[in-house]
Amino acid sequence: MSTETTIRVELTLDGVARTAEVPSGALLVEALREDFGTTGPKLGCATGDCGACTVRRDGEIVKSCLELAAGAQGCEIVTIEGLADGDELSPVQQAFWDEQAFQCGFCLSGMVFAAEDLLRSNPRPTDDEIRWAISGNLCRCTGYEAIVEAVRTAARRMAPPAG
Amino acid sequence: MSATEVVDGKLYAGASVRRHDGDRYLRGRVAYTDDIVLPGMVHAVLVRSELAHARIVGVDADAAREQPGVLAVLSGAELARHAGPIPNAMDPVPVGGQPIALHCLPVDKVVYAGQPVAVVVAETRTAALAAAELVAVSLEALPVVLDAEAALADGAPLLYEEWGTNLLLSGTAGEGDYDAVAAASDHRIDGAITTGRSAPAPMEPRAYIADWDAREERMTWYGTTQAPHPLRHSLAGYLGLRERQIHVVAPPVGGSFGYKNFGHPEEYLVCLLSRLVERPVKFVEDRMSSLRYGAKDTRMTFQAAFDADGRVRAVSCALLANHGAAAATGAFGMAFAASLALPSGYALEAFHGEYRLAVTNKGPWSPMRPFGKETASLLMERVMDLVAERTGLDPADVRRRNWIPADRFPYATTTGLELDSGDYAGLLDKVLEVWDYPAARVEQTRAREDGRLLGIGFGFEVLPEGADIPGALIGASDISTVRMDPSGEVEVLTGVTSPGNGNDTAIMQIVADRLGVLMSEVRIVQGDTERCPFGFGNVSSRGILTGGGSAALAADDIAVKLRRVAGAMLEVDAERIVLHGGMAAVADEPERALPLGVVAHSLYTIGGILVPDLEPTLESTRTFQMRNVRHHPDEHGRIMPFSTFSNGLYVALVEVDPATGVIELQRHVMAHDCGVMINPRFVAGQFTGGVVTGLGAALDEEVVHDADGVQRTDVFKSYLLPRATDVPRFEMVHQVTPSPFTPLGTKGAGEGGVACSMAALLNAVNDALRPLGAQVDELPLTPERVLDAILEARA
Repeated sequence: MSTETTIRVELTLDGVARTAEVPSGALLVEALREDFGTTGPKLGCATGDCGACTVRRDGEIVKSCLELAAGAQGCEIVTIEGLADGDELSPVQQAFWDEQAFQCGFCLSGMVFAAEDLLRSNPRPTDDEIRWAISGNLCRCTGYEAIVEAVRTAARRMAPPAG
Repeated sequence: MSATEVVDGKLYAGASVRRHDGDRYLRGRVAYTDDIVLPGMVHAVLVRSELAHARIVGVDADAAREQPGVLAVLSGAELARHAGPIPNAMDPVPVGGQPIALHCLPVDKVVYAGQPVAVVVAETRTAALAAAELVAVSLEALPVVLDAEAALADGAPLLYEEWGTNLLLSGTAGEGDYDAVAAASDHRIDGAITTGRSAPAPMEPRAYIADWDAREERMTWYGTTQAPHPLRHSLAGYLGLRERQIHVVAPPVGGSFGYKNFGHPEEYLVCLLSRLVERPVKFVEDRMSSLRYGAKDTRMTFQAAFDADGRVRAVSCALLANHGAAAATGAFGMAFAASLALPSGYALEAFHGEYRLAVTNKGPWSPMRPFGKETASLLMERVMDLVAERTGLDPADVRRRNWIPADRFPYATTTGLELDSGDYAGLLDKVLEVWDYPAARVEQTRAREDGRLLGIGFGFEVLPEGADIPGALIGASDISTVRMDPSGEVEVLTGVTSPGNGNDTAIMQIVADRLGVLMSEVRIVQGDTERCPFGFGNVSSRGILTGGGSAALAADDIAVKLRRVAGAMLEVDAERIVLHGGMAAVADEPERALPLGVVAHSLYTIGGILVPDLEPTLESTRTFQMRNVRHHPDEHGRIMPFSTFSNGLYVALVEVDPATGVIELQRHVMAHDCGVMINPRFVAGQFTGGVVTGLGAALDEEVVHDADGVQRTDVFKSYLLPRATDVPRFEMVHQVTPSPFTPLGTKGAGEGGVACSMAALLNAVNDALRPLGAQVDELPLTPERVLDAILEARA
C-alpha cells in the first residue's frame, strides 16, 4: 500500500456528523467523493472554472476543488444530496426538474447551489442577475436558457404571498 | 407537466412531459462512471509526452515500479506484446483513405503533445500520479507540423511514415460542370472561411472501468460511451474474446456531443490492464486530456456563379481540414460528411467540392456535433450573403430565390443525398412572424448614421442525420423490446442510449400512448449489453428516430393483444377497444372498461379460455429501419447514407464595438424544423444547447498551440466555453414538416443549431463591418481578429 500521510477530518455532512481519514493533501472534493463516499459534487475541471463540485460550507457556497479537505475541519458541509427536505425537493431543485433545466446533470451542483445562493439574498432577481449569479458555472447541454427559466420559476414560487 | 397529468383524451407524445428520472438527478443520486467504486479497484494514470512529435527512445519505469502501491507500469512497446492496434469505429480505407492502426499507447513515436506514452496502475490515484512523475521517457524530437497546408507540402515531416504522406483522406463531391455553368452566368464571386479548432468538452470527462473476472473469463466494462453494443464488438476484437465474454454497461453520461462514441485508446487500455493485474482498473481523464480532442479547423475556399437576379447557379469549393493526430473514433468522417452536406438546401445547377484531410501534430479530431456539417452551412450562407452584397438584393430574398422549393421534395442534391422533406421558405416566414425584419434594417441604418456598427446575419442549415454507414456499426435501424407484466406494468429496453437529452423519457411517452398506460407504469432500461437488445447507441440523432420507432412497433404488437383480450372480456370486437389512461374501454362507452392490469393478468392466466389462438405473453422485440438510405452506389458511385434532414434558419443581430472589436449578440431568432416533436421542451433544449456550442465556435472557443505544438488552451481558463452572461435570451419558433419515412414523422434533432448559429454570426459581423469596408473570414471572431480587420480596412 502507499505511504500517503492522512489526517482525520471531522465535519457535518448533509446533517450527519462524519469522520474520515483523508490524505493530507486532498482537495475537499476528493475527500468528499473518495473518503466520505458522497457523489453529488462532481469533478469537472479541478481548476475552479466549471462549478460542478460546488457545496455549501458553513452557509457559503464554495467550489470544493479549490479547497483543501483539511480546511473543512469542523465545518458544516451541505451537498446537493442534502438539499431536499425528505421527500420534498427544495423549490430550486423542483423548478430545475419542472423547467427541464438540465440534460446530462453533471453541472447541477454548481447551478442549483448558485441559484439557491442568489435567491437567499435576492428573492426577485432579474434575468441579468440570474445569468450573473450562475456564470461561475459551465453547462454544455442546455444553453442556459432553461436554467434561467428555472431560477425565475423558483423565485416566483418562493415569493411570499402578496399583501 | 408531471408524468401523470396527461390522462383525459390527451396523448403524452407532443407534450413537454418532464423527464422521468429528474428527482434522482436533482438529489445527486445518479451514479456516473466515476461514481462507481468496485471492490479491489485500482487506478490507471497516464504518462504523457511533452513533445508534439518525437521518436520514443526508451521508457524507464524502474523507479516508478518500486513506489509503494504501484502494481504495474507499462510502455506502449510492452503493451504491444499483449494486443495489437485498436479497431477503428469507421475505417477510412473503403472511402480511399489511409489505414489507421493505432495502439493503446504508441510503440515507436508520439505525434502530439500530451499523447500518453506509458501507464501506471496503482492502488490509489494519488499513488499512481506520484509514480507517474518518476517514469522517465526518453524522446528524440522530430520536426513539428501544425498547419494542414504545410503538412501536405513536399518534404513535410511525416506523422505516419508508412503512409508516405500526411493526407489521411481526400475526395470530391457534386455533379455538373461548374466552369460551363459559371461561364454562362452573369457574375462570379469567390471567398474563403476558416474555422477554429473546437473541443467537444462535455462537462464530464471520459471515464472507464474494466473488471476482468479471471475465473469466469469475463470482462465487465463500465464507462462513458454512446454505443455499448458496437463498443462490445470492438473490445472483443481487440482482446481476442467472444462478444459473449464482454458485458458493457453505460451509466448515465455527463454529456457526449460525439466525444463519447467509441474508439478512444483508454477504452481498450483499461481492459488490458485489468487482465494483467487481475483487479478492476479505473481510468478517469482530466480536463487537459479532454481538451486535446478537437474538431472543425477547416479552411474553405469557394467560388460561386450567379445571375443578376440573385439566382446562384453553381458553386465550386475546396476544403482543407486539419485532423491533428489520427484517431480510431471515425472522426475523419466529419470531412466526408461536410462534403456530402454541401450544397446545403439550395438548388444549384452545378456543384463541385474537393476535400482534403491532413494529419498534423495537433491533438486528434474527435467526433463532435454537428459532425462537420457546419462547413456546408458556413460556406453556402457566406455565398448567399456575398451574392446579396454584389446584387444589392436583400439577403433574405436571395435565400428565398435559391432554396429548394417545398414542393420539390424528396429532392436529390448534387452530392447524391435525397432530402426527405422541408419548407425552407416557411422557416423564413416563421422568423418574420416574430421579428420585424424591415424595422431592424431601418434601425441598422439609423445606428450606422450614429457611427454604431449593427449587423444582421442569416444562417441556414440542413443536417443529414440518422446515418447508416456501410461497413461500420453505425446504422439507421435499431431494436427495442417492450413487455408488460401481469400487473400491467411496462418495461422498455432499447438499443439506443441517452446522453442526457431526455430521449428515454420521450420513448416512454411514445410507448405509454400506444399502450394507453400512465407513464408512471413505464420504466426504461438503456445502455446495458446484457439486458438491452442490440443497438447502435446514440449517434447521428437517432434516439427517437430508430429507438422511438422500434419501441412504437413493439408497443403496437402488445396493444393488439390487449385489445383482443379486452374485447373478449367485454364481449365486443377488438377493434372497438380503446386503450387509454390505464384502461381498456369500449369506444364511446367509457363505463364499459377494464383496468389494463386486469387485462394483462387475464391473458397470462386465462388466455387459453379468452383468446385460445393468441400466445399468452405480452412481450415484443421489434426492429425499425429507415428505408430511404441506399448503400448501392448510383451511376456516379454515390451512396445515400443519411435518413433524415432536419433544418433551421437563424437570424442574429449583433453590434460590433469598433474601438475594441468586441461583438455583442443582441438577438438570436431561431426557426427550426425537425419534423414531429415528441417532447417539444426536450427538442428546445437540444437546440439551445447546440446554439451555444455554435456561438462558442463563432466567438470564443479555440484550441491554440504554440510553435512547438504544445497546446496553450488546456483548461477552461484558456479554452473559453460560453457562460450564461455571454449569450442572450433566444427566441425560438418551430415548424413541423413531418418526415415521410418515419412512423412518427420525426427527424433528428441532436445536431441542430450549431451550424446555423456559426453562419448567422459570421454573416452578422460582416454585415456590421460593411460600412468600414472591413471583412472577417476566420472563426472564432475574437476581438483581436475583428479589430485587425477594422484596422486593416482603415489602413
